[in-house]
Amino acid sequence: MNLRLKLALTNLLFKLVFTGLFLVILPYLSERINLYQTDDELIEKREHFFNLISEVGIEPFLFSDSINVFGSYNILKEEFISIEKTDIVESWNFIEVTHRLIEGEVIEYRVLNYTFRVDGVMYLLEIGKSLSSISATEKNIKRIFVIFLIAFLIISFVFELIYTRTLLVPLNIIVRKIKTSSHPTSYNRQPVKTSTTDFTTLDSTLSELMDKIDRLFKKEKEITENISHELLTPVSILRSKLENMLVQEDLSENALIKTEEALITLQRLKALVNSLLLIARVESSQYLKNDTIEINNLITNITEELKPMAEEVGLNIQLNFRIHKTIEHINQSLLFTMFYNVVNNAIKNTPTGGTVTIETACIKKQFIVSISDNGTGIPVNEMESLFLRFKKKKTNDNKGTGIGLAITKSIADFHNIQIKVESIEGKGSAFEFLFPEE
Amino acid sequence: MNALIVEDEKSLANEIASYLKNEKMICDVAHTGMEASEMIAVNQYDFILLDLGLPDYEGLDLIKEAKKAGSQAAIIVITARGAVEDKVKGLDLGADDYLAKPFALIELYSRIQAVARRKFQVNTSDVTIGDFAIDINARKVTCNNSEVDITRKQYDLLQYLVLNKNKVLTRIQLYEHIWGNMLDDQYDSNFIDVHIKNLRKKLNEYASTDWLVTVRGVGYKAVID
Repeated sequence: MNLRLKLALTNLLFKLVFTGLFLVILPYLSERINLYQTDDELIEKREHFFNLISEVGIEPFLFSDSINVFGSYNILKEEFISIEKTDIVESWNFIEVTHRLIEGEVIEYRVLNYTFRVDGVMYLLEIGKSLSSISATEKNIKRIFVIFLIAFLIISFVFELIYTRTLLVPLNIIVRKIKTSSHPTSYNRQPVKTSTTDFTTLDSTLSELMDKIDRLFKKEKEITENISHELLTPVSILRSKLENMLVQEDLSENALIKTEEALITLQRLKALVNSLLLIARVESSQYLKNDTIEINNLITNITEELKPMAEEVGLNIQLNFRIHKTIEHINQSLLFTMFYNVVNNAIKNTPTGGTVTIETACIKKQFIVSISDNGTGIPVNEMESLFLRFKKKKTNDNKGTGIGLAITKSIADFHNIQIKVESIEGKGSAFEFLFPEE
Repeated sequence: MNALIVEDEKSLANEIASYLKNEKMICDVAHTGMEASEMIAVNQYDFILLDLGLPDYEGLDLIKEAKKAGSQAAIIVITARGAVEDKVKGLDLGADDYLAKPFALIELYSRIQAVARRKFQVNTSDVTIGDFAIDINARKVTCNNSEVDITRKQYDLLQYLVLNKNKVLTRIQLYEHIWGNMLDDQYDSNFIDVHIKNLRKKLNEYASTDWLVTVRGVGYKAVID
């Protein structure tokens, strides 16, 4: 999940919690508001009534001495007003909830009780409003609130999505810059336009880091080039001298063989230097990754080359291609070397009659090449140091420099390929190359 | 054919010159970039063997200079720096081939011949050896007009031996010629023996291969009278 969606969702969640809380307390809140509102209205009506009395006197409400109660309510009995003579002596002024029986119907009212004295007579004024009419307005208030809140939630969520998108554009550009550059040299150093200082800092720091890595790479490259030159030039001179000796016709057979032996030793030195340089160059990313190849073809080429060796020792090479896979952004000759070393090892470590199996498959979207044999296997105590330089098997043959698997590992790392090794001594080994998922 | 060897290591330059003179080539040697620059401006060469690691000169600049001066020379770049871009840049600037140090002298000479065939259209399209005829352009081997079915690597081996007839080729030289530098570490003297054995077997089905001689302890030789 990206940052933008996370921000919008977190905000939405917060608002939902807040709104939920509000909805829970809304009935109580609206009830309180309504009561205050009703009480205000009742008091207002009382004032209105007294204005009326001061204009027309109390007599119109009291028709005769015999009838000392005046009462009036509207048709739906939502409101009523009543005045009566009373014996109460203390002055009343309060509002309460009471039940009244009107025309055989019990109705719950909010009632204002007020006593006053006119011409020495004490009267009680009651103004009431039915609670059912109050709750009706309450319902309306709630409905409006809920509609408003939902609208608020939707609008704010959409707004946030749009707003954060604009806000996070620079960050997205920076992320894309990182994703698209395969090497510090190719990192786009053009500053991202933004007024958010965090992003400018991030952007410039990244550029500086890339510059630094780039400089280190260049330095390492320079060093390897210089070492390479210093080591290989004397080897080159020696080799040329020996080879010139080899073509002399008057050379005795003994001298010829000795010269050749010296050349073989020189070849080992050269192989060693070149292998170390290859690893150094791969590790400092000096190779391009712009080939596109069909892996099965590459493997077929390797096995074609090694087949004569396998046949010579009576081995069977089995190819099991479950999938055809074309892979981009790789270095073909490096990948060739990577697989070649492992296949060649498998052939060397498998006795007559054995089988070397090479499989390509796709498991859960991940492309896998596995190279397995039923040969001598790798002793448990050698498994850990398998990919380290110069850690070769303790066999008595002098072939190879013991650096082949170190080369394989560095090439695999360069291409983000994971290598898994399983081996049982005496039964065989399996090397699995797990390619990065696209 | 005449060649200019541009190489600051005097000892190496002399060995190269001595080998090529043995192959009837005329060689000049320049030990510095300045010297080379002057010699390229004054003389016409068929070949310039250029070491890129000159202390006083950017080697790649010499290629530019040579092209600018209208030199028709084929340029073979030699370097011990072995950086990948050097190779690409060199070839981009118009170098004809590239060789990493340390190389076999016979490999250098073979490259010179290959460039000569390509660039100066020296016609060597048909070479015969024993009862076999090799068509270099088509990369085919025939025996009494029927095509001999051999693998690519076997053909490469055969062609290399035949083009360097009457010379002993060591296993290392054969291995490097065919598999290059990337697999240095995997070198196994057995490798070449197996390939030669298979090649012989294949060719023997058609005609005798007495001309393909094993030089004990050293390598192989194609003997042609």
